[in-house]
Amino acid sequence: MAILALKSRPTEITPDADKSGPIELVRYVCAIGAMQSAAAIPRVVPITHCGPGCADKQYMNLAFYNGFQGSGYGGGPVVPSTNASQREVIFGGADRLRELIDSSQTVLDADLFVVLTGCIPDLVGDDVGSVVRDFQKKGVPIVYAETGGFRGNNFTGHEAVTQAIIEQYLGPWDGVREQGLVNLWSLLPYQNTFWRGDLEEIKRLLESIGLKVNVLFGPDSAGLGEWRSIPRAQFNLVLSPWLGLSTAKLLEARYDQPYLHIPVLPIGARQSGEFLRKVAEFAGLAAGPVEQVIAREETRYYNYIDGFTDFYSEYWWGLPARFAVIGDSAYNLALTKFLVTQLGLIPAKQIVTEDPPVEHREAIREQFRAIDHDVSVEIEFAEDSYLIHDAIRKADFGHKPPIIFGTTWERDLVKEMKGSLIEVGFPASYEVVLSRSYVGYRGALSLLERIYSTVVSHSA
Amino acid sequence: MARQLKQIAIYGKGGIGKSTTTSNISAALAEAGYKVMQFGADPKADSTNTLRGGEYIPSVLDLLAERRRVDAYEAIFEGFGGIYCVEAGGPQPGVGCAGRGIITAVELLKQQRVFEELNIDIVIYDVLGDVVCGGFAVPVREGIAEHVFTVSSSDFMAIYAANNLFRGIERFSNSGGALLGGIIANSINTEFQREIIDDFAARTDTPIVQYVPRSLTVTQAELSGRTTIEAAPHSAQADVYRQLAKRIAEHADSKVPTPLNPQQLREWSARWADHLVAAERAEAERNREVA
Repeated sequence: MAILALKSRPTEITPDADKSGPIELVRYVCAIGAMQSAAAIPRVVPITHCGPGCADKQYMNLAFYNGFQGSGYGGGPVVPSTNASQREVIFGGADRLRELIDSSQTVLDADLFVVLTGCIPDLVGDDVGSVVRDFQKKGVPIVYAETGGFRGNNFTGHEAVTQAIIEQYLGPWDGVREQGLVNLWSLLPYQNTFWRGDLEEIKRLLESIGLKVNVLFGPDSAGLGEWRSIPRAQFNLVLSPWLGLSTAKLLEARYDQPYLHIPVLPIGARQSGEFLRKVAEFAGLAAGPVEQVIAREETRYYNYIDGFTDFYSEYWWGLPARFAVIGDSAYNLALTKFLVTQLGLIPAKQIVTEDPPVEHREAIREQFRAIDHDVSVEIEFAEDSYLIHDAIRKADFGHKPPIIFGTTWERDLVKEMKGSLIEVGFPASYEVVLSRSYVGYRGALSLLERIYSTVVSHSA
Repeated sequence: MARQLKQIAIYGKGGIGKSTTTSNISAALAEAGYKVMQFGADPKADSTNTLRGGEYIPSVLDLLAERRRVDAYEAIFEGFGGIYCVEAGGPQPGVGCAGRGIITAVELLKQQRVFEELNIDIVIYDVLGDVVCGGFAVPVREGIAEHVFTVSSSDFMAIYAANNLFRGIERFSNSGGALLGGIIANSINTEFQREIIDDFAARTDTPIVQYVPRSLTVTQAELSGRTTIEAAPHSAQADVYRQLAKRIAEHADSKVPTPLNPQQLREWSARWADHLVAAERAEAERNREVA
């Protein structure tokens, strides 16, 4: 009898690159870092089932030494944890978790609890689902997501948390769709230092053309009320290269809800206009009023740009011409698009650092290859800062000092290269970020301010 | 339209004949027209061998060891009667975490929606003897198997293992997990063996689904790398398995088991041990008289 699998493996299997080595200067956190995604929803409190130190590390990295964003209502130091130790490893941690959920309900006022597991319970095989279901049956608003570190990083964890809420908290739905209501799936809360301001600007743009937005995370979200109305929305908008796509597909399968995927986060007038036109077309909005909105925004935008051009043309001798971006695919793509198509800068090196799932990598590459009609960029995927810095050193920045869009990890490198650094991603430990945004019409102006303040003050 | 999927887990002491019984059930179900998947949840990865002429197949974890991502279909092999065979596999003995391996393999198939896509009627999980950690309990969790059957002989150690399993199921059944379908009484050839297993079943209020006698036909079939259903389809033993398979296919109502506590189990086995000694003495007595 021939023994053949239903699907045969490729005859030549190239083993995956050995990624088991250490990573120098990390650019993301563990999957359980998605506790901050839960905390990013107003009045939602994560509960962590993990070893001592896990939750604190995620919070300090993501929300403190990254723009000093703060913990929020239920994040950071508020988060209850089982502090699993030897006893829970050997005997299982289900009882301890049950006790913790019970007590958390007594002392914490939350609209929803999200249990996130760390490596310990996922390894020993705690049946966390059964513990949480017991509470769900009693009517406690609670869901769980398995986020052991070996499942992936905080991007994976974020999808797990989002999908846990959809699958465990939102029931079946067969109502009438609300035209003009859109669910926004975009930047990763806290990981992206500017997510709060950015989501606010995206929401503002979408509302300006007459849509109603479930922004779902951050200060501009109405909390669980928005989440409950997810199935009612006309469509899902995935505004990122890949994050949120699997959630949109889940919603499509679950509620037969269509989605629109726009990989490029809009920065500046050109991209923002294109973005609004695409969304409007998908939503079936009349073009006239949308064009009016775009015209109004552009009038304001170009008024400022007009002032800026005095500086931009006079200072030509001192401004960098070539740039590199080291960061998550979402911001990397958005920045590269803006800097190339709207400022005329030359891309020298683009490194994508969040370890996107293999199945999305080619699509991300394609986006960069089509940056402009005459500019194509070949990106690298890398997570280890030693390799990243090595690649930046070897990149061709021409005769002028480079401008690097990166993180705090690039401080020393940029000093060494006598260039300028704009901290745009995790970790941004020398930036205090509240509502600042770098996207849309308004964010683009802030970004220009930041870039050129950094550059002109370089020699001061 | 997807058919109603039935998921069954078979547990029991190591070496008691779980894989043999499971493979024969699968073979008999396939013969009766069901679309069956047998899922070997044992690091030894030999549950489904007799469904494929004794050939080994790469396990889910073998494939995962090679690459970070595995297409579940690369780990599914068709065996006798179109039965889909999957082995979870695991690390080498003495290293790593086999329990995590089982969790990963079960998750992989669930995530990739294999059962739905292949339109499977019945999935049978053949789980290794001792539920040593959380991983080996995964097949009986909520949302996976609904019914558990235990294979046991009349040996005390096998019955202890069955009783332990009942305790595990009792625990899981409180949290929505699988319920106990009954005992498959294996290697039952004498009246005495039958009395022991019957008594245990009565004490724990558990139905006996089928008595399966020990048979040389089974051994011969195994040695030729086949199930009894395939190798000796007209044998009486094959009919025993067919009957068992039919009962399992029709089985609908399982219940929370009522295991004996350790004290009760000790007393119960001590009493049977006394019976056994008395019976053997009488036998020896008779032999002397004959001599």
